[in-house]
Amino acid sequence: MFRNILNKGRRLAGLGSLVAALTVATPAMAQDKEPIVFGGSIPLSGVFAFAGIHIHAGLTDYTDWINSEGGINGHPVKYVMEDTAYEVDRSVAAFKKISGSESPATYYGDSTGFMKAIASELNSQGDTLMSGASFATALTDNEQYPYQFIPGPNYSQMFGIILEYIADQGKDGDMPTVAFVYSDTEFGKDPIENGKARAAELGIEVVEDIVTKPGSVDVSAEVLKLRRVRPDFVVFHGYVLSPINEFMVQMRQMGLDTQFMGTFWSSDKLIIDKMGADADGYMGVMPYNYYDSEESGPMLDALRAQAEKSDPEADYRPTGYMQAWFNAMVWTEVIKRTLDADKELTGDNMAEALASIKDWDTGGIIGIPVTVRDMSFPVGRIWRVNAEKGRYEPVSDWIHLD
Amino acid sequence: MDWIFFGEISLAGLAMGGLYSLIALGFVIIYKATRVINFAIGEIMMFAAYLFLAFAGGMELSAWIALPLAVIGGSLLGGVIEKTMIRPMLGESPISVVMVTIGIASILVGLVEFIWTADPQLLPSFLPREPVFIGPLYLAPKIAYGFLIGAALLIIYLLYFRFSRGGVALRATASDQAAAYSMGINVRRVFNMAWVFGSLAASLAGVLVAATGGLSPQFGIIGLSVLVVVIVGGLDSILGALIAGVFIGWLETVAGAYLGGEYRMPATFLVLAVILVIRPYGLFGTHEIERV
Repeated sequence: MFRNILNKGRRLAGLGSLVAALTVATPAMAQDKEPIVFGGSIPLSGVFAFAGIHIHAGLTDYTDWINSEGGINGHPVKYVMEDTAYEVDRSVAAFKKISGSESPATYYGDSTGFMKAIASELNSQGDTLMSGASFATALTDNEQYPYQFIPGPNYSQMFGIILEYIADQGKDGDMPTVAFVYSDTEFGKDPIENGKARAAELGIEVVEDIVTKPGSVDVSAEVLKLRRVRPDFVVFHGYVLSPINEFMVQMRQMGLDTQFMGTFWSSDKLIIDKMGADADGYMGVMPYNYYDSEESGPMLDALRAQAEKSDPEADYRPTGYMQAWFNAMVWTEVIKRTLDADKELTGDNMAEALASIKDWDTGGIIGIPVTVRDMSFPVGRIWRVNAEKGRYEPVSDWIHLD
Repeated sequence: MDWIFFGEISLAGLAMGGLYSLIALGFVIIYKATRVINFAIGEIMMFAAYLFLAFAGGMELSAWIALPLAVIGGSLLGGVIEKTMIRPMLGESPISVVMVTIGIASILVGLVEFIWTADPQLLPSFLPREPVFIGPLYLAPKIAYGFLIGAALLIIYLLYFRFSRGGVALRATASDQAAAYSMGINVRRVFNMAWVFGSLAASLAGVLVAATGGLSPQFGIIGLSVLVVVIVGGLDSILGALIAGVFIGWLETVAGAYLGGEYRMPATFLVLAVILVIRPYGLFGTHEIERV
């Protein structure tokens, strides 16, 4: 425990000094060009801190790396953030503070709630492009959220990828059945209706949908409901860990051979670390390669090298880190395209540059070239837990939705 | 009507309700003796569950050693809180004391995040994993064994409060503090004892519930949801806590199974609303309770 406190203290001190060093050192690196600012509402504390810490590390490492590469078209990059504790009001305050003093070209939003709340202000300011932790389907509505994008598939698209995989498992015209299990939150409910519609199109029967209250203490009754319908697949959404483990363990205790799948935030290595052997066979949809996958590519290698350099003791980087790095990569690409076209960094120009991304090689972060559609990257792959090796392994090709 | 399904759902609900009763007992013992509604009870539960994680996970002690250590740790925490933060508030308004308990809850969340990080956790598995069947009815093993452990503590508590000197002192203090004081009962000690015993019940419930549903720094929110149980049963009634806990657990589970998970909480709040209209002091509570 004492060692844990020391490590935590060291990490906090490290983060603090890193932020301070960036703030102080960036002007010195500025050469003769204005810095480009990446802003961020980051949940370093509160309910989403388990991911926020790694998101912050990803954005910090990317900023260091891009500056070591000469910045963006010679402009140094400055990353400015505030801790929000995953509270919308604090996140809005952080945005106002940072956008008031730093004029960020791009900004990391920590939640769907914040990104929706800030939309009107973002639209009226018109000089910042935003993405972040949210994969909400609603944010891909270009009319309402013209300056926001999803750094991967939105939740409905994730369900689409999962359902395509499930449909491929059908044999001799016998299509597998599926049950959806989701939390009683905006996050949890997001893809359910679209998921049901897509399942119907593919001929997959949704035999049960189960909603659990957030922070559910016991899911025995819900497991009993699933036992009656015996789905071939259960797709979880809106959870990080619990109650996925309880569903899996109890359903296996009942002798069911159901397979279990989850969306992005339910597909971190955390599940393997905490569940151990019980996690074996669990599958997740992931738009990026895992840090410890066998895949490689120039950008993925650069990410691993930078991560190793910034914290040599940590031998793994969670999906939050990968997601943050990819966010910053897209920001860089968008800014570069805008500057190359000799345009100002306005919201409209950057949104236009984003929409122009077609067959973009992400250097191994995503395994195939990607194309932006409706302000999102509708691509992903199904990965399966190999508990013995303690990691996810790919069980499908990359699936790019048209 | 599928009666087997209804029976299984009911069993699961009743067993979970038993754990609610244990948490509610934590509220009631403290309120009964000291007239303080302890809004930090959920966080004391959480802290004890993290202690279990440290002992059984980090230090790799046997779960059956880690469990009593964690429960004792949680009860000691209750005692320390009473002595250092609640006792100095004696004589202050009930609202002030309630605010202190809310502050304590925040401190405990921060402390847990600092020591164990904000990562969601699973407790090391320590309860038997073989399915439990009561006749043809299936019951999840964690819930079944959790209920048995909780029920054992409840019985010990009931016997203690009924027959021991400490129990008599506590009941006397709850009835009339001035009279108890004049009869030579160390009222301050009783106050401390109530916090220790209340936290002990909550700590055991914390470990058992976390063993089922996982653990995170937000785990303490369960304590607040059990406040419904306490108000329905009566803030100062141990019997009320036991009955209301089991009933609310059953109702919540049945409503969730037949109407959908989103109806779990509305169902319990509907009961709460009805009870507050009919018997504002709860099913078994004392009439003169002044509600906060």
